[in-house]
Amino acid sequence: MEQWLLVSIIIAGYLLLTLTIGLMAGRRSSDSVAGFVAADRSFGLLVMYFVTGASVFSAFAFLGGPGWAYSRGAAAFYILAYGALGMAPFYWMGPRAASLGRKHGFVTQAQLVVGRFPSNGLSSLIALVSLVAFVPYITLQMRGAGIVIEAVTDGHVPLWLGAAVAYGIVIAYVLSAGAMAVGWTNTFQGIFMVVIAWALGLYLPFRLYGGVRPMFERIATERPDLLTLPGLTATGDPWTWGAYSSLIIVSAVGLMMWPHLFMKAFTAKDDETLRRTVILFPTFQLFLIPIFLIGFSGVLFAGQPPAPDFILPFMILETGLPAIVVGLFCAGALSASMSTGDALLHASASVVVQDGVTKYLDLDDRAQRRLMRGIVLITGGIAYYFALDPDSSLVQLLASAYGIISQLAPPVVAAMYWKRATTTGAISGLVAGTATAFFFFLNPELKLLDLHEGVLGLMVHIPTLVAVSLLTPEQDEGHLRGFFS
Amino acid sequence: MSLKTARALTIAYLALMTISVTWPGLLPFARIEPLILGLPFSMAWIAGWVAGSVVVLYLLDRVERRHRQEGDH
Repeated sequence: MEQWLLVSIIIAGYLLLTLTIGLMAGRRSSDSVAGFVAADRSFGLLVMYFVTGASVFSAFAFLGGPGWAYSRGAAAFYILAYGALGMAPFYWMGPRAASLGRKHGFVTQAQLVVGRFPSNGLSSLIALVSLVAFVPYITLQMRGAGIVIEAVTDGHVPLWLGAAVAYGIVIAYVLSAGAMAVGWTNTFQGIFMVVIAWALGLYLPFRLYGGVRPMFERIATERPDLLTLPGLTATGDPWTWGAYSSLIIVSAVGLMMWPHLFMKAFTAKDDETLRRTVILFPTFQLFLIPIFLIGFSGVLFAGQPPAPDFILPFMILETGLPAIVVGLFCAGALSASMSTGDALLHASASVVVQDGVTKYLDLDDRAQRRLMRGIVLITGGIAYYFALDPDSSLVQLLASAYGIISQLAPPVVAAMYWKRATTTGAISGLVAGTATAFFFFLNPELKLLDLHEGVLGLMVHIPTLVAVSLLTPEQDEGHLRGFFS
Repeated sequence: MSLKTARALTIAYLALMTISVTWPGLLPFARIEPLILGLPFSMAWIAGWVAGSVVVLYLLDRVERRHRQEGDH
């Protein structure tokens, strides 16, 4: 049998298994909004751990990570640095958000913010900001899935078909089972990804260079510029410390503000589970080490992939691995794409309906659930449309998505911790911060010290939030007591 | 250890880590040699801070948990 055919069969088997797990999980979930969005608040430690890890490690980490290590060298280390920093504050914030969620029935972070700062406009603004950040992120995942399938099947399954099949499956189980399916498929996919990453990350350096140390010794001699921080830009010039450092800061601030991650506070079974997840999270982070090793193994390898993001499939195909390994790798990369993509699609629908539409329309539980399913389809369709555009510069869009999503941090933190904050302050800050980030996204040449536009946005956002809050009358004491106690 | 001390130490670790993995705290450690476990020094340095955060958060959790249990009575 031809190799690509065998590989396709392995992938098909894997996709079928994912679909089965997703659909089986749905049978355990109640047919309500709380069931669809928050899985009836029932996730235990194992599921929570892998849900969080697998949703953070997307196609960007699995394909972009090696791609960055390969083409931009030490610049990729930023990905290793920000995760633990971004997650740690959630040890306190998570349980606090969870207890407010249980008390007031919140299932999204906008509900939490608006519970403190009552304003339909603010709610819609948060929904809009989330959605704008979500679409490029979902697009990236779909394109990642398509790229992998096209590369390993030798072009027999083109990008449009690969992306459509992989995401057809994702949409099928998100539609049928909601949060419960996302939880169980991510557990399965998370385990799978970790095993594949370590196996390949150690195999390639040993096979090609006789070990990890000999590999880095050779790169240090032949390409020292690549291993010198802050690494290189996409065009191969030295990168700036301002851009490197501010990307770590904005990613750390933005990480837990992604609705699909923040909402885990509302899906966890209890506070203990949440805290354990936070403690164990950096162990997932260390899984980037083999990911980088895969990319570095391609540096001195003869031949070049069509684009840096293709380095992983390229290395696998070029080193003549057996079909079964190629198939399993492909499944691992698909896991990375699908396990983030499903969480993103699911969260985007939850956010748009809960925080946008229901503020203006009175819908019953069943109508809401039906509308959420419609939005999963629409968002998926829009992202798919962009995924097929070969010119879409996704990495830039993703970096900007982080700039936008990090603007949710000040209002969320103020809602939970700063009693003097006011609704006007929260709205002014969010508008000013988002506008600033957007301005510098459009005019990158004006950026101060090459800082990330999200950090520049926060530098305007936080003072605005504080100043306007102090200038406007304090919130009603009764309202504060009702919210906090 | 009191809850306050544990929280202060954890926050201090995270602040120190933030400085150590970005400019300018990273500058003295932004080098290739010596290789640690085969990895470039800067990569091992950052990975070390990440691994350390697991230990710090675990120790924080022990103090927090003891405090919560005492609070129950």
